[in-house]
Amino acid sequence: MKEKDLYVDYKPQQHIYYVEKEDQQYGPIISGSYLAKNYLDDYYLKQKNLEFSLRTKVIEGKISPIEYYMTLQDLSIADLASRVNIRRVKLKKYLKPESFNKVRLPLLSKFAEVFDIPVANFFQILITREEERSKLDINQLNTKNPTFVVTKIESKQ
Amino acid sequence: MSKVHFEHRMGAHCESGTVASLLNHAGLEITEPLVFGIAGGIFFGYINTPFFTFPTFIVRNRPGHIRTNVAKRLGISFKTHKFRNQKSGIEALDSLLEQNIATGAQVDFFYMKYIPEWQRVHINVHYITIIGKNGAKYILSDSYYPQIVELDFELMRKARFAGGNMAPKGFLFYPEKITSEVPFEKAIVTGIKSACYNMLKLPVPFIGVKGIYRFADKIMEWPRLARDIEHLSHEVMKINILLEDQGTGGAGFRYMYATFLQQASGILNSPTLSDMSKRMMEIGDGWRNISYIAAKIGKKRELGESNLKELSNLIRERGDLEKAFFQDLSKTV
Repeated sequence: MKEKDLYVDYKPQQHIYYVEKEDQQYGPIISGSYLAKNYLDDYYLKQKNLEFSLRTKVIEGKISPIEYYMTLQDLSIADLASRVNIRRVKLKKYLKPESFNKVRLPLLSKFAEVFDIPVANFFQILITREEERSKLDINQLNTKNPTFVVTKIESKQ
Repeated sequence: MSKVHFEHRMGAHCESGTVASLLNHAGLEITEPLVFGIAGGIFFGYINTPFFTFPTFIVRNRPGHIRTNVAKRLGISFKTHKFRNQKSGIEALDSLLEQNIATGAQVDFFYMKYIPEWQRVHINVHYITIIGKNGAKYILSDSYYPQIVELDFELMRKARFAGGNMAPKGFLFYPEKITSEVPFEKAIVTGIKSACYNMLKLPVPFIGVKGIYRFADKIMEWPRLARDIEHLSHEVMKINILLEDQGTGGAGFRYMYATFLQQASGILNSPTLSDMSKRMMEIGDGWRNISYIAAKIGKKRELGESNLKELSNLIRERGDLEKAFFQDLSKTV
């Protein structure tokens, strides 16, 4: 593909692509992502709908918080079980809300590490009004106590 | 603060980009397409395993093989380390950095927080070069990012020691020995032969050209595998990501392979390879077209049988063209 046909002006997501240059030599250019530039709104819409649907299921007691994060982060049962070093059948059990309460803290910490969330987030979801979101800084700060987190919600300066 | 003087360069792909950067740093002038082509990196596989939430496809050879194939074929060696426990893995990395050694590392891409969140997924085979330490942060060069960046110690630990399929186990590597006479010509021929073998002759029904045909067949079954229309849309649009944005150089590595063939034609003085590089570029244009269509029908949720059939036919057509291409390519070397 010729350079002029491929190039996309989009700074937030850039890649190296190989193209045919004006002198007919093939070589690398840095270009923005066509998909991100044109379709990112659709990605966020789908993620928002998926998150809402999963959150509703957690609230209604239909799935456990582990399944909430597993599905949001597109992890399979086999992959997640392997990441926390338990058998798949055991993980399937923990995806049910009634069995989630039986997960021991060290294992829950392993799940938290995979999902890169504080352990506290298995027991709560922080929600802000959509129109407020851009005005707020929400930071969850780790402490020396591995299971204790300080959540700071501040107005952006 | 410790930091190796390292020339950061973006690469199309994390493994070939990292290997190319490390070899250049060690004094061997080599381009990323040459690394990719010599390693026989071009590939196709349609994969449906429990480790993925949905069927997917791959367009490059097995992770790690770019480094090992290049080393074997160019007669160079990489020093490698894997670790059973995190503490020794962390200490080993810090020790290498203290010795001013730029070190390649295998990590889970999800924890690379400098990458936009919409791009980050759990995949254990991302490669970066770690070039220093600044307090509680590592300094690194990632082929996917325009600048040198810093990453928190904790995130690096999670990324290096993530469990699961193809777990990194803290894997580190760096060039150890580079001979003065590097056999580029022979390595290029071997790389082309291995690519032809992988695409045409591997006796596995979902690998190589057979994998492209399987993809063309199986995409018709995707609607019944998806949770709902938005999930199906997401998976169809991921075709675009896998072909274009997941570190391929465009068109599922076909553009980078065309560039390799053009560079190879110069080194081997072979006009035939130059013609083959043009053919590969055109094949890539067809894959790029598939990416555009997948994105378009995915966003519009126009995922009925007729549109998927159109996509399927375009994929099958790539299979036909690549079959003929690799058959012809195998005759040139």
